[in-house]
Amino acid sequence: MTELKRRTLLGTLAAASLGLPDAEATSAGKVVYWHHFTSQEEFAGLKRVMELFATKYPAIALQQENIPNPEYMAKFTAAVVANTRPDVSMVAAERLPDMLAMNGLVDLTSRVNAWSNKTNYPDDRWKGSSANGKIYGIPAFTFVDWTYYRKDWFEEAGISGPPKTLDDFVTIAKKLTDPSKNRYGFGLRGGPGGAAYLIDLMEAFGSKFVVDGKNAMDKAKVLAAVKWYSDLAVVHKVTPPSAANDGFRQIMEGFKTGQTAMTWHHTGSLTEIVRFFKPGQFGTAAKPAGPAARVARLAYLFNGIMKADNIDAAWDWISFWGETDPSIAFLEETGYFPASTVIAKDARITGNPLYQAAAETIGFGTLPPAFVGMAGWSQNVVLPEFQKILVGQSTAEKATDAMLKGLDAALN
Amino acid sequence: MRRAISDTKAFPWLLLLPALALVFAVVIYPTLSGIDLSFRQMRLNRMDLGQGYVGLRHYIALWDDPIFWIAAQNTLLWVVGTVILELAFGMIIAVALDYELPGFRFMSVVILLPWFLPLVVAGNLWALMLDSRLGIINAALQGLGVIEGYKAWFADPNWALPAAIMVETWHGFPFFGLLLLAGLKGIPTELYEAAAVDGARFWHRFIHIQLPGLRIIIVATVVLRAISLMNSPELLLILTGGGPGRSTQVLSLYAFHKAYREFNFGYAGALSVVMFVILMTCSWLYVRYSNALKAD
Repeated sequence: MTELKRRTLLGTLAAASLGLPDAEATSAGKVVYWHHFTSQEEFAGLKRVMELFATKYPAIALQQENIPNPEYMAKFTAAVVANTRPDVSMVAAERLPDMLAMNGLVDLTSRVNAWSNKTNYPDDRWKGSSANGKIYGIPAFTFVDWTYYRKDWFEEAGISGPPKTLDDFVTIAKKLTDPSKNRYGFGLRGGPGGAAYLIDLMEAFGSKFVVDGKNAMDKAKVLAAVKWYSDLAVVHKVTPPSAANDGFRQIMEGFKTGQTAMTWHHTGSLTEIVRFFKPGQFGTAAKPAGPAARVARLAYLFNGIMKADNIDAAWDWISFWGETDPSIAFLEETGYFPASTVIAKDARITGNPLYQAAAETIGFGTLPPAFVGMAGWSQNVVLPEFQKILVGQSTAEKATDAMLKGLDAALN
Repeated sequence: MRRAISDTKAFPWLLLLPALALVFAVVIYPTLSGIDLSFRQMRLNRMDLGQGYVGLRHYIALWDDPIFWIAAQNTLLWVVGTVILELAFGMIIAVALDYELPGFRFMSVVILLPWFLPLVVAGNLWALMLDSRLGIINAALQGLGVIEGYKAWFADPNWALPAAIMVETWHGFPFFGLLLLAGLKGIPTELYEAAAVDGARFWHRFIHIQLPGLRIIIVATVVLRAISLMNSPELLLILTGGGPGRSTQVLSLYAFHKAYREFNFGYAGALSVVMFVILMTCSWLYVRYSNALKAD
């Protein structure tokens, strides 16, 4: 009997040393994972993470299902209402209040608190997945907002470096704009997903949004932000004529095809940009400072559990994203930063100069505002009202009034 | 002596029962449930407000909602404009194919291709072709001297809806073409022969034989297509998202935005009921005044 136990122990140790499933990997069953990855790079990253997971947890059958991001909340809502939930769902911080309001996520507080890797994440990492003292997800990776700029064009124009302030930004954008060559200083995202940048600017001009459940927007500051941002297109004309309809794909193509000198996005598009340009042709920089604050978003994407039927296996999947190997594998494919500060110290990150702007941004960056009704307000009010200014159907003043009124309606 | 169940008066109803149950489950119940929703407070992210009845509150709010009126106006342009263009192109194609010229079968399949494409694919395809940086349409129009420089079609409030109508027309005209061609094939050849004897030319044949022969098919396809267009926001969602501003906002897209961005299902339900009433009324008026159901 003793001999058998010894053999088992030795066998387990041998298996572990060969990289075979370890003794902890006891969960089994099927886990359905909903995500809204879009690009080839993201799918390649997910594939590698899933392969590593399958090696560690061979008894868990992981099934990934891709939901287009614009339809994600529609599917999520339908799954909650019809009780056809997947086990695990990707959770963007700004969607958390809405997801919780419809009881869409399982409370993971006790599991997270007992998790050995929890200390690898500073407290602010948990803010985006927490509400009312409870934790509903584990950070999987981070999007760090930053500026891409054409280093070669800057050098040609004798510009010493990327803009540090919004005033610098306008000056440089004007200098690099030449419509006769179809060149514009800034690729403004006025289409899908564009509201977030305007909301960041409102904060950079000093406005708050919601305090104690009430509208706390400062009209003068919001107006200044709306005016500054819309003036780029309407007054300074440093953006392409298509700005009012440009989403992610368009601003990326604008930058890659040599139409724009600068654009704002996050670290997630770095792999695509790196593949396209020659070394030294472009650079990355932290976003410029506004009059009241320097605002750039650190958007952590979380994985949360939607149903407790197979919670151990689901937990194994979401906590796996917090381990070094899958995080680095995902970074290598996508350029997405790990959320864990321990993993972020890996030499493959600290040794890459392009990531210095992201490291700088992590020092001052903040989470996006999150409150119940945020998604509806930003997409149904802020974006169309801003677009109306861009196409000459409204003014900054009228749009600001509509945005304030819209927030009141969202909160009431 | 016991009567067989098939001899009872209830027997036909028993036979109908499965079909009736199915109709109730998939048609009547969801419809009534949707109407019921429109009278309720149903904001999934504000469950603290409850789910009780709020009477006509959503309908009154709709009346005062300027976006609703913009969306209604855009819906009218979207549906009427698209149906007219699709019907016109479909008719041209059907009449041309009816001549059965060499390659007719091959062309019949080729012309159907846009209809086979999922709207998501068609939308993204056209978004790229109309792109102001890389779009082939801009290159072609500039090459022909129609435009001076590349145009951002979907970023111009005057062009966004017409451009979307053009894309939808490209996608939907084979629906008309196919059904109208089927209708043309059903017209007796004797009528054409008699017309030929009378010296009728193409135009006379079309006005006096083909068009009257297609009347019922035209009415049916127009009603079906109008319903489909009014209820489907997919293409606009892909191409413009309702923008720029509200210039391509239509009722179905507005209902979608209300339901899945604001999670206000009560308000979205009211929008859906209004669309339902508009569609029913317009369809009834159209069928009635087009005399489609009148015997010849």
